[in-house]
Amino acid sequence: MPSGTVPRQERIPKNPPLKRLRKSGRILCPVAFSALLFAAFAHAASPARVMSLNLCTDQLAMALAAPGQLISVSFLARDPGLSPMHEEARAYPVNRGLAEEVFLARPDLVVTGTYSLHNTTGLLKRLGFRVEEFGFVQTVGTIPGEIRRMGALLGRERQAEAIADRFETELARIEAEQCDVRPMALAYDQNGVALGAGTLADSVLAAAGFRNMAAEEGLQGMAPFPVESVVSGRPDVIITSSGDGEAPSLGAFVPRHPAILALKGARIGAFVPPGAWSCGGPAVIDAVKALARLRQEIAPCEVAR
Amino acid sequence: MKPLVLNTLLALLALALFLASLGVGPAELGLSESLAGLFAGGSEAAEIIMREIRLPRALLGLAIGFTLGISGAVLQGFLRNPLAEPGIVGVSAMAAFCAVAVFYSGLAGSSLYALPAGALVGALAAVLILMALAARSGSTLTLILAGVALSSLSGALTSLVLNLSPNPFASYEIIFWLLGSLKDRSMEHVVLALPLMAAGWLLIALSGRAIDALSLGEEAAQSLGIHMARTRLLIIAGVALCVGAATAVAGTIGFVGLVVPHLIRPLTNRMPSVLLLPAGLGGAGLLLAADIAARLVLPAGELNVGVLTALIGAPFFLWLVVRSRREAF
Repeated sequence: MPSGTVPRQERIPKNPPLKRLRKSGRILCPVAFSALLFAAFAHAASPARVMSLNLCTDQLAMALAAPGQLISVSFLARDPGLSPMHEEARAYPVNRGLAEEVFLARPDLVVTGTYSLHNTTGLLKRLGFRVEEFGFVQTVGTIPGEIRRMGALLGRERQAEAIADRFETELARIEAEQCDVRPMALAYDQNGVALGAGTLADSVLAAAGFRNMAAEEGLQGMAPFPVESVVSGRPDVIITSSGDGEAPSLGAFVPRHPAILALKGARIGAFVPPGAWSCGGPAVIDAVKALARLRQEIAPCEVAR
Repeated sequence: MKPLVLNTLLALLALALFLASLGVGPAELGLSESLAGLFAGGSEAAEIIMREIRLPRALLGLAIGFTLGISGAVLQGFLRNPLAEPGIVGVSAMAAFCAVAVFYSGLAGSSLYALPAGALVGALAAVLILMALAARSGSTLTLILAGVALSSLSGALTSLVLNLSPNPFASYEIIFWLLGSLKDRSMEHVVLALPLMAAGWLLIALSGRAIDALSLGEEAAQSLGIHMARTRLLIIAGVALCVGAATAVAGTIGFVGLVVPHLIRPLTNRMPSVLLLPAGLGGAGLLLAADIAARLVLPAGELNVGVLTALIGAPFFLWLVVRSRREAF
């Protein structure tokens, strides 16, 4: 698998979200001047053939594209362990992110991740294709902006606005339910890698009312976290990737190390629906909801009040 | 040096390094806390860290080091080849490849038992190939070159299988299989590998008298009543069992079996059988020391222990080659 297509927003270097917001703001600002004019303009400019090369742009594009507008998605979009929209993805042809595939398909617009398939992106731009890149260092707060940006690119502002609005409303509702009881959680992945500060998971944990142990221990981004530190930190919840149906790997044994299973009182499990927080897309809200429910279950706010 | 004195000293060294290994780790436990965790049940965290994380790691360092040392000594004695060692002659690499092939193909689900099953078959195949080659050509060089070929082929096939795995994380594990590590091992691994390794040590020990006689040459040994076929079988099975089991749980760790017998041989009367136990103890000491260093050099990420043993062993190997050319082995 080309490593660039793995949906790990954390592997990607820092990219100030503000810059992206400003960029999307530029695209959106005609809305403020004239809705009518903009609608006409957007309709005229909306690309008829769109190709997505990255698991994360796949999710945004599938959620927003008009029927027939999206001509292919990445092959990872069909992977049930990675993609929350794997069933929808079956309706689309898949690509492997190769420049040749794009060249043959002749899309009007290519959407992909900023740092994935670096060479392909450069090549496609030189060949004259319109390539729009999405950065993936995100938090729950930047996702509505990403949804709106994809909507503007596809000429589907109304749909994007509805989805982004629903996301914001639900997020605000869940955040309002939180209280001072904040159990300690650790997102612990294959090979003993934890999700630290600055990751999407970190912001999801915060929104759902958890503290992130890896971030509090000083971990930045996605980094190795020794089993010993997991045991001595004694988290209340350890969130592992489900790993169901995956081909075997030794790394999968690390989050299931007997030392971790021996921790009394720690809840260990997948908890988050498969793929729900691997990309900054609409599905992240499902991760927030699932974790907020778990938080409510293990440390109810009512008792504290 | 008298064998008893030598063995006692090496055993004390291995014991000291075993205890030091128990004291090293990212969780900063004090001495009393560690001891309480290990024996008396201190705090829950200390108890789990000592019994479930550090103890299995130190036990595996001890047993795998012993395996590599004793296998190196017996192969050098039996093949009468100063450069023979499970890593160099390709036994470890073949064991790793077969373990990888069985485990990552998912034939046995994702059970850990698939690892030693595959590794034993691989180690056995490699030892059989080497014995067959050694029987046909007495040259030191032929065996080593065959080992190099076997190692390269196995390494390439290991990388191929891991790259072909549909699990994107599998390809990151190439480094574990090629350079070995004792990171994140557990008691499951100890239970899996220790009995097999112990059985291998026993078989190797039983061949002791025969390899002494063999140092006089094959015909002389036969005239002394040594049963060649039986000896060969004991050594094949012994090395395959212990090196296979060691590789199944720790990947390929090279050069321990080369360096240690050479360092210790001058301290003995140079009888191959007398070298077996001290070489095992010395191997345990060397691997434990390398594993401690691997944790101290890069505390967060951790170095692969095979990197350190190769840093010590490869220059030593080169020196042996130069020296053996001069002395026309």
